[in-house]
Amino acid sequence: MVFSSIVFLFRFLPLFFILYYLAPERVKNLILFLGSLVFYAWGEPVYVLLMLFSTAADYVHGRLLGRLRGKRGARYVLLSSVVINLGVLCFFKYADFLMETVNALFGADLPHPGLPLPIGISFYTFQTMSYTIDVYRGQAKAQKNLLDFGVYVAMFPQLIAGPIVKYRDVEKSLHRRSVDLCSVSDGLKRFCLGLGKKVLLANQLGALWVLVSGMDARNVSMLTAWLGILAYAFQIYFDFSGYSDMAIGLGKMLGFRFPENFDYPYISASVTEFWRRWHVSLGSWFREYVYFPLGGNRKGLPRQLLNILIVWVLTGIWHGAGWNFLLWGLWFAVALMLEKLFLKKLLSWLPRGIGICYTALVVLVGWVLFALDTPAGIWGYLRAMAGMAGGLVDRQAMYLGRQYGLLFLMAVAASLPFVRSLANRARESRTGFGIAAYHFGEKFIPAAILLLSIAGIVDATYNPFLYFRF
Amino acid sequence: MGDKRSAFFTIVVIGAIIGVFAVADLIQEDRLFSQTENRVLAARPGFSWEGLLRGDYAEAYEAYLTDQFVSRDKWIAIKTNMDIALQKKEIRGVYLGADGYLIEQHLPEAYSAIQEAKKIALLERLVWEWDAMVMLVPTADNILTDKLPAYAPYYDQTRLLRQVKSQVGPEHYVDVYSVLQEHAHEEIYYRTDHHWTTLGAAYAYRAWAEGRFGEAIDYKKEDMEAVTEDFLGTLHSKVNLDMPGEAIYYFPDTDRRPMKVTYDLKDTRYNCYEESYLETKNKYGFFLDDNHGFVEIATGYRNGRTLFVIKDSYANCFLPLLLPHYEKVYVIDLRYFNGRLFRFMEGYEPEEGMDVLVLYNCIHFLEDFAYVE
Repeated sequence: MVFSSIVFLFRFLPLFFILYYLAPERVKNLILFLGSLVFYAWGEPVYVLLMLFSTAADYVHGRLLGRLRGKRGARYVLLSSVVINLGVLCFFKYADFLMETVNALFGADLPHPGLPLPIGISFYTFQTMSYTIDVYRGQAKAQKNLLDFGVYVAMFPQLIAGPIVKYRDVEKSLHRRSVDLCSVSDGLKRFCLGLGKKVLLANQLGALWVLVSGMDARNVSMLTAWLGILAYAFQIYFDFSGYSDMAIGLGKMLGFRFPENFDYPYISASVTEFWRRWHVSLGSWFREYVYFPLGGNRKGLPRQLLNILIVWVLTGIWHGAGWNFLLWGLWFAVALMLEKLFLKKLLSWLPRGIGICYTALVVLVGWVLFALDTPAGIWGYLRAMAGMAGGLVDRQAMYLGRQYGLLFLMAVAASLPFVRSLANRARESRTGFGIAAYHFGEKFIPAAILLLSIAGIVDATYNPFLYFRF
Repeated sequence: MGDKRSAFFTIVVIGAIIGVFAVADLIQEDRLFSQTENRVLAARPGFSWEGLLRGDYAEAYEAYLTDQFVSRDKWIAIKTNMDIALQKKEIRGVYLGADGYLIEQHLPEAYSAIQEAKKIALLERLVWEWDAMVMLVPTADNILTDKLPAYAPYYDQTRLLRQVKSQVGPEHYVDVYSVLQEHAHEEIYYRTDHHWTTLGAAYAYRAWAEGRFGEAIDYKKEDMEAVTEDFLGTLHSKVNLDMPGEAIYYFPDTDRRPMKVTYDLKDTRYNCYEESYLETKNKYGFFLDDNHGFVEIATGYRNGRTLFVIKDSYANCFLPLLLPHYEKVYVIDLRYFNGRLFRFMEGYEPEEGMDVLVLYNCIHFLEDFAYVE
């Protein structure tokens, strides 16, 4: 089930929360767990078993690790857990890609399993791995209650697209958590804002990207190409951060505090900063479970550069099984290494605006690699962006600019911190007007966004059948 | 206001939105058919464990919920108005033009030179074999260019028309483009529909008749009569905006003499206009009873001439104008015809021969013109 659907908003959400809030404390986790299974199974009825298998496997490994703490056997248990988790992930996510690559390289004829990707597998396997590793390191206690652990893995708000919640961050709340009016209201508002980002910004700008990426890149003008990739950049940001907002909001309504996942990434003045602000929970996962164990920056510069390379290759292919994702990871690895070597120092002497432009350029080129999956497609698009395909500006670019201008303006406004600082100023103002405006705005703006989003969701299926068209 | 009270109030507002629509949606009855979308809406899917496990049930159920969602049409109107507020000049492939004109969008990249060449070759075959006349009508975006939104892209049909003219020869080509261009500031296209109006057709008729007979019946603008004032056509259905309806006109003179119209070899009427359509949404169906594969008209004019027309729906409001020139008119719509065209035509050709006319709008010509000899 996805959040931006009628079935979630008007069936699952009200029904689930009514049950959840009415239920006595000790059955809340059971309701959350069963509700989450329904949520997952709605679109993926078979793969829910895979998730249950992962849950059971890591529960058992966690218990063993808890018992063997400090003993020699613990290593092997951890190894087994990691192998199982990565094995499942590789089999379902990368098997096709690997077979294809081997076939292409060696002219072999290995069969493709052709399995559809289980939804959310990249997220929940990383969560369960964080659990066993933390237990092994003694940073978390083994969870004895299978239901509590099941809630951790399957919990529907972040199950499908994160944030990746580390076990120790929610350890206490899994067993006991409290909800009050304020957290429910904050959660609801956050959910509405996230839904609006997804439906009103991401989906609308996505239409522009679909249009531009579908054109023959050989006659796309420079302005059109830039509008297209900007649309994609905003689409992926609002899609993903909107989803995180919805997850964090729903988490709040349940009494959880999930980590923030996005922190205005598009105002970053260096790529290093960008990755501290973009998909924070993934970055911190890799930092903690790959980069630091490899030695991080403590083993000298060459080793640090190698570690960066390793982490970004992994980050790249985590995003998808394809060469373009690997390339995308490498692209950022190179930028980050250059920044480590000298660029960051250089940027710190220059005005922040230059850093922002440089970062935007790196990130936008990155999105070209991310969004287009053939070398020819990538090359053609980059040429168009450089003005080497269809000239600088054409009629089409002017038209698209006018069609989407206001939407772009809204997208820019929504990706800058100033809306929030405006809200904060209103909240802290002492004038009657400021206070009234804040109280009015904080209720009715999310409500209005919710209403408009419903319109967007219903409209997406508007499908007039014009049999009398001819 | 205390934090708690404020939070409570927020929960009530947002909760009410979800709650009210969830309950309203649950208690409202399912609709079978949507008037605005002119289609049957999804019905509640039958439950089966097998469907559930495959995931089909979930998919069908979501389609059902969204199709049947309470006040669906209003939500869609809200979204459309939101787009307009965002200064969008195009909604679902329809340009919101000046002066209340909705103009169907045809993107240049959608029609290739190869596609043009293929269709022209097919047309050429027909023209040489039957000495046919060709009337290709440009669509509104090519004529009402000053009503298009600024910089709006459109497929320029002049290249196609030039090519057609040079390949079939000027003696087989009626230059509808120039005629309509000349009258671009008159009501020659509907504001809410993708067809041309009776007036547009009348101007084209004059050009055709003068070419064919050296003279044309003088249809005057002032003589037109409205048969309805509240036509909202296909383009209106696509954008679903609040708009005033418009008039459909016809020339009463074309309706004076009894004729015999046979639709699809079975259904005989004595008029080429069908008033029953004026009560439905599809009011353009007034002309020649909407779309039929094959229509035979015995006009009641005893001049011994026969015309065979190969056409799309643009011809429906055009044909009544030319009836006095012929005794028999046969009309075929290739989209509903599977046989061999030339053999079929031979079956209707009288000994003294017949005129053949091909009438399409440029887009339908590229998309739908196809036949087997």
